[in-house]
Amino acid sequence: MDTVISARGLRMSYGERQVLRGLDLDLRRGETVALLGPNGAGKTTTIEILQGLRIRAAGDVEVLGEDPARGADAWRARLGTVLQNWHDHPRWQVRTLLDHVAAHYPDPWDTDELLRTLGLDGHATSRVRELSGGQRRRLDVALGIVGRPELLFLDEPTTGFDPEARREFHELIESLDITILLTTHDLAEAERLADRVAVLLDGGIAVHGTPQEVAATVQAPSLVRWRDGSERTDDPSELAWRLHQRYGGPVPGLEIRRPSLEESYLNLVERSAA
Amino acid sequence: MNTMALGIRRGLIEQNSILRDRKELGTNIAGLVMYLMLILWIGRNPAGGGVDMTAFMTVGFVAFTVFSAGIMTLPMLIAADREEGALLRLRLLPRGVPVYITGRAVSLILHIAVHSALMLAIGGAIGGVALPSTLYGWATLIWVLGLGALSVIPLGAMIGAMLPTAKAAAAVVGLPTMLLMIASGVMIPMTMMPAPVQWIAQVFPLYWQGHGLRAAFFDSPGGELHKAWELGTAAMVMGAWAVAGMVLAPWLLRRVTRK
Repeated sequence: MDTVISARGLRMSYGERQVLRGLDLDLRRGETVALLGPNGAGKTTTIEILQGLRIRAAGDVEVLGEDPARGADAWRARLGTVLQNWHDHPRWQVRTLLDHVAAHYPDPWDTDELLRTLGLDGHATSRVRELSGGQRRRLDVALGIVGRPELLFLDEPTTGFDPEARREFHELIESLDITILLTTHDLAEAERLADRVAVLLDGGIAVHGTPQEVAATVQAPSLVRWRDGSERTDDPSELAWRLHQRYGGPVPGLEIRRPSLEESYLNLVERSAA
Repeated sequence: MNTMALGIRRGLIEQNSILRDRKELGTNIAGLVMYLMLILWIGRNPAGGGVDMTAFMTVGFVAFTVFSAGIMTLPMLIAADREEGALLRLRLLPRGVPVYITGRAVSLILHIAVHSALMLAIGGAIGGVALPSTLYGWATLIWVLGLGALSVIPLGAMIGAMLPTAKAAAAVVGLPTMLLMIASGVMIPMTMMPAPVQWIAQVFPLYWQGHGLRAAFFDSPGGELHKAWELGTAAMVMGAWAVAGMVLAPWLLRRVTRK
């Protein structure tokens, strides 16, 4: 098994406030993991520690086989990042910026090819600030992957997107064949992009697994509806069995709704807050 | 590409894109127009020491260009780079930080060089301002420009790193810089200032930058405060600011980034 990220007992506090209290996280090569959690749960802090931008208070962390706190340029060249709300280099031309960023890496993609792949070849000589929101985002992705990273960090990449830009972005990410650690508020995004989901609550990973496993673990009650009533239950199968017996056959208008990841997640967050 | 070459290229691209920016170009041209109007208006009046106001103000504005590049332009650029995310992006790139610093230094040097050359060219064409004629004059010009820049760049970098936005940076340093410009003998010879203003101005590097440059360009110190070239004092005051800035800036930056 090829481990790309391994964190054990990761701790971090800002002054009095403990943000991370013993976080464990693993990423294997090739998989996409979504880090979910409410605002202030420590998602960005976790990513910043893994990128070597922040020094952790305690814990063992390895990213691509090295401690990020000591990561040198050769290590940094194997990472890529797409953050939220970047407005940098507004006066630069698109191709100039991409070429400049590419020149930092030992073996970058051909920038013309990358612009074409991302549908930006018509804007190569535009100034960055003249791009639309969706184009700007595609440029951010181009800048994040131009160095052929082995590991890509996406920190809330679709905040403020309209639905079409969001779908475009998802298709783009799915077409990349690399290891990705993604943070998001958007449950549907996590369900669509991630092989595994980790929910960050109270400074640690509360639940992790495939989206289905997470939904099952933190199962919010399912909703069972039929012609004459409805009921929320943790065991919908058992209720359906009782209804069948009561009606002596098919239950009229029977409908069983399993909780979505979103419902399970909100249920979990509420339980943690209580 | 090696780090130094990449940084230099970054500085060239930065400066080029700033020059092509209409708003930036407008600000730069406005500064030159103000200078041009001043020398056309009062340029022929004597400034003391056998020098007319055109020559006096040309040298004064070159000094102010160096000073304001370090204390005003640099913090605004750094604050904007942080606000917009350029600093973070560069921190995430291999060799990004040295490339950023080299690029900023190159763009700042270009900014100073282009501005100074334009003013010297205008002053030469209109008021007959002459470049230093001796090797000694050129040597003085170079070390005064260099030390003068060093006396403000660490402070400017620190201000830029601590203030949240480019607007905040402009608001914090704008007024003091303008007051120092008036008080430090850029437009008005110091001998015409009241004594308390003279004392205050001599604490700051801008006055000594101007004094050192006048020593490089002019022969007679007759128009100076103490009727003498005081290059030792100039080196000491500018050097003290440079050292204080280089000691304070990293210390303060560490405190701020640890927060």
